[in-house]
Amino acid sequence: MRTIKKNVLMFMAVIISMAFMGALTPATAQKTIVFADFGWDSAQVHNRIAGFIIEKGLGYPVKFTQGETVMLNSALIQAKGPEAPNVNMETWTENWQELYDEGLAKGKDAGTKEGFINLGANFPNSVQGWYVPRYIVEGDKERGIKPLAPDLKSVFDLPKYWKLFKDPEDPSMGIFYSCIPGWSCSQVNDQKFEAYGIKEKYNIMQPGSGPALAASMEIAYKRKKPWLGYYWAPTWVLGKLDMYQLEEPAFDQKIWDTTRACAYPAVKCDILVHKKLPEQAPEVVEMLKKYETTLDINNKFLAYMQDSKADTDEAAQWFLKEYESLWTQWVSADVAAKVKAAMK
Amino acid sequence: MQFPEAIDIPLDVWVDAAMDWVLATFSGFFDLLGQIILYFMIYIEKFFLWIPWPVLVIGVGLFAWRVTGRWWSGFLMGAMLFFIGALGLWKLGMMTLSLVVASVLISLLIGIPFGIAMASSNRFEAVLKPILDGMQTMPSFVYLIPALMLFGLGKVPALFATIIYAVPPVIRLTNVGIREVSPSVIEAAHAFGSSYWQILFKAQLPLARPTIMVGINQTTMMALSMVVVSSMIGAKGLGLEVLLAINRIEVGRGFEAGLCIVFMAIVIDRITFALATNKKH
Repeated sequence: MRTIKKNVLMFMAVIISMAFMGALTPATAQKTIVFADFGWDSAQVHNRIAGFIIEKGLGYPVKFTQGETVMLNSALIQAKGPEAPNVNMETWTENWQELYDEGLAKGKDAGTKEGFINLGANFPNSVQGWYVPRYIVEGDKERGIKPLAPDLKSVFDLPKYWKLFKDPEDPSMGIFYSCIPGWSCSQVNDQKFEAYGIKEKYNIMQPGSGPALAASMEIAYKRKKPWLGYYWAPTWVLGKLDMYQLEEPAFDQKIWDTTRACAYPAVKCDILVHKKLPEQAPEVVEMLKKYETTLDINNKFLAYMQDSKADTDEAAQWFLKEYESLWTQWVSADVAAKVKAAMK
Repeated sequence: MQFPEAIDIPLDVWVDAAMDWVLATFSGFFDLLGQIILYFMIYIEKFFLWIPWPVLVIGVGLFAWRVTGRWWSGFLMGAMLFFIGALGLWKLGMMTLSLVVASVLISLLIGIPFGIAMASSNRFEAVLKPILDGMQTMPSFVYLIPALMLFGLGKVPALFATIIYAVPPVIRLTNVGIREVSPSVIEAAHAFGSSYWQILFKAQLPLARPTIMVGINQTTMMALSMVVVSSMIGAKGLGLEVLLAINRIEVGRGFEAGLCIVFMAIVIDRITFALATNKKH
């Protein structure tokens, strides 16, 4: 018994000392690049793509910090501690406008260490809007679904169809699944409700989280039931489910600024970095300035993820292979060679 | 050393397939069950929103005075409830309270019979114990999404998630309470020719009452601690207020709502705990 105990102790001692030695090896002098890893797929794939190029090509260690939109962005502004992100690959500015303005202003102010700078678009024209499953409007012969609302084309048709989207908790009203509480789209949707005159007929459901909103839509789709709510692209959900975007009056800045009774503006998804990053990692910032994709590419890698059950790392590898001619323009030839050598 | 990739248990695939099967086969049943539970919950919520606030504040104060036997304790409980209203969060507080009350009622309905069954069969106890451990330690988001798939967004999946998390203490403590009843009492009851049910209702349950009450107290507290999590699947109330404040980093707003949850927890805890330990009743 005693020798067994001794052996176990020795074994543990060896393991622990090995772990310590691993922890004590001097860290590389290079600044670690920390990405804000938001809870949706496109942002995570962009992080993995940029992260792979930066790590294998430019030689900076990379890290990903998970969290919610506002939390990660305020951490990015403050940049305190080793886990604080210093790169945001997908801004969606509208959803945290006040904080964005504050962070950008601080970025220009030399008197503070806080703030970020905007490096320009990652991809333009992402879409936000109100959706119903396409089978509600057009039916689906393959799945044996008859069109329940053949005349539902625009948001102005919603009042007459409220019964279709009945709220189980309050059967005298329809139900509209709005966006994640705290994102500005949830306030925008409230204002649109007033402006389009559908407030009397529909309740607004705040889903509480991104997965909950996606799941409510997917499950309605699986069960061939009606669903009405807000969603955005590029996302795997809209890549996978055939949803129908309800028409709204075309975007007009003046209307938007007053009543919001028009379509969402096309969102430009920019890349942000903490303002110190250009000093700490100039090559990284140079690369990120050139980093640019299109909505179409985003939809393609998201569809790839969904079809082949790939994770975000695999989707990034897929992108690097498929779009080699694109990303090699962002870096010098020898960096590109290093990245290619490291690809799986 | 790397774990060999050849050994791969596709548990995820099985669970997904089972979920799809359940959805395809029983969706009608779950719709009906969801409807019934929903009406029950709407009724409870309507009741709490209907009670005039002074009635509840004073009523709770008096009740707390009576069960704790200290007037200042009752005064403090009433003041805490009053404070929730003074912060402008009365309605949200009542929504939260109704979710807690509904889930505790159903938890007791499920939990006490299970606890009794567990106390009367060692084999059943051995089977149930690890399941209860699992229910309490499984991260709640793992079963929030299936609950959402079965019942949609809103009150009903929130109730289910809350019950899964909150029911184990009442089951465990009912079991412990009954098992702790002295064997000589049972023997005496046998000697007088009592049946199983007579022993259960006349001897075991009354003697186990204090322990069961502690279980009810713990179940209630755990149900309350789920309110923020259940707001992630669309339950309205103080939890959603906290979630909103977190998402917008409005520290003050989050603090207000959080403080109200704490006050509610104190009121519920002190009252149920006093009921559990009060020997007069």
